[in-house]
Amino acid sequence: MQVSWGPQHPASGHLRFILDVDGDSVLNLEPDVGYTHRGIEKLTENRTYLQNIPVVERINSYCDATNTVLGYIEVVEELLECEVPERARFIRVIMAEMNRIASHLYWLCLMSISVGFETMLMWTMNERELFLDLFEMITGARITYSALRPGGVRYDIPHGFEEVATKYLNHFERRLKDYYKMIFENSTFRLRTIGVGSISSSDAIKLGLVGPCLRASGVATDVRKDEPYEVYQNFDFNIPVEKAGDAYARSLIRFHEMEESVSIIRQALRSIPEGPIRKRVPLVVPKGEAYSRVEAARGELGYYLVANGTDKPYRLKVSTPSFRNMAALPYITRNVTIADIPAIYMSLDLIPLDIDR
Amino acid sequence: MEVVRSIAGIEPVKNLISWARAWSLWSVHLCTGCCPNELMAVSCARFDWERFGTLPFPSLRECDLLIITGFVTNKMAKRVKLIYDQMPDPKYVMVVGHCAISGGLWWDSYSVVQGVDKMLPVDVYVPGCPPRPEAWIQGLHMLQEKIIRNKL
Repeated sequence: MQVSWGPQHPASGHLRFILDVDGDSVLNLEPDVGYTHRGIEKLTENRTYLQNIPVVERINSYCDATNTVLGYIEVVEELLECEVPERARFIRVIMAEMNRIASHLYWLCLMSISVGFETMLMWTMNERELFLDLFEMITGARITYSALRPGGVRYDIPHGFEEVATKYLNHFERRLKDYYKMIFENSTFRLRTIGVGSISSSDAIKLGLVGPCLRASGVATDVRKDEPYEVYQNFDFNIPVEKAGDAYARSLIRFHEMEESVSIIRQALRSIPEGPIRKRVPLVVPKGEAYSRVEAARGELGYYLVANGTDKPYRLKVSTPSFRNMAALPYITRNVTIADIPAIYMSLDLIPLDIDR
Repeated sequence: MEVVRSIAGIEPVKNLISWARAWSLWSVHLCTGCCPNELMAVSCARFDWERFGTLPFPSLRECDLLIITGFVTNKMAKRVKLIYDQMPDPKYVMVVGHCAISGGLWWDSYSVVQGVDKMLPVDVYVPGCPPRPEAWIQGLHMLQEKIIRNKL
């Protein structure tokens, strides 16, 4: 029998699944994507490089705006071959890591309601507000900032930011310990996620998983370490890796990533240099091709840019992490019960806006 | 049924009913664009618009408020219409975000509906990309005022 799951479903978001079921067990799952397709890749060809920043940001403005724009800025700067002031690079890293935490908190809230845990929903959204407050201090916006520019950043860190950020980070670190006790030691959460949706490391590589989903299967890759962009080589941080590859391991990875991000923000705030935040860059990008990748909250985010010497891109191809992680979904949902599907789906942290573009 | 209808038409009862409707607007859980992240913020701890009587609810057969959160693509538009038709009367539509109001950033996109008011009767518009939670709450208050004044 076929069951349609979504798009109007409390746990589905904008995605629809067509499930072939036998009784309660799922024989096959087919994702029906395209509910949020806007044609961003085509639209970028009609806009200048600066106008493209907010457009590209909406690929995943849902929770991870800075990292999404950072990838685009990186690829444009690679063709421009421009100098970026050191202070701007530090501000970029601080914003990217704050956005990673905000994104993981948003994921944790969705994950906890998908296993029926509404207290965590209120807790995580409350702490997410702190990071949105910090963003508001820097850029004046809560979700969509468009604060990065080729050649630097648009806004400097305001006066008194460091004290407020340190206060919030201290509070957040205390709360992370509470989270661990509240959800990761919770017997219901463990029961619903341990051993659910396991992927072995070889399968994870074959399916092309990226980011926390790949690291949960025991493969230690992270673009920030393997191919440091911006100033990540200056910071001392670990890449959390788990062996099990199930929904619990994927959750744990994201939890530890939040701790690492807090440490990166602290180091960056301590060692941020003085100086200008932006340099003038030409509006016309010289002819050529470039590829750049960044580690977004959901994994590796790649941009491939073909420039033809005008002020508009000839072609911009985006390889988004959610799209690549979705490849695993039909594979790991075979012969599970319907009740497990929300937990598996949420543990992959798929954002349909990111999948469809 | 006739008796009930005639009683509901009397002025004080009518006012009472619209007052009760205004303070128990349950919204359909439907995400169409990027604005649902602010919907989460506005319905969670800090802003908590449950105190104004609204609650995102899974079953659309018990809901009377449809919030269009962000752009509506052509593929989603059919589902939005289907969901709107399934909701019981009286039903209200609140449109959130520039993209849903007029196409916004996607004014030249081939797959985005240029304004939700072309396919649904809209009661309240909340502009922003995404609107701040305070704007969401103001939009809800505007809708409640409209209902209490019996304009709907």
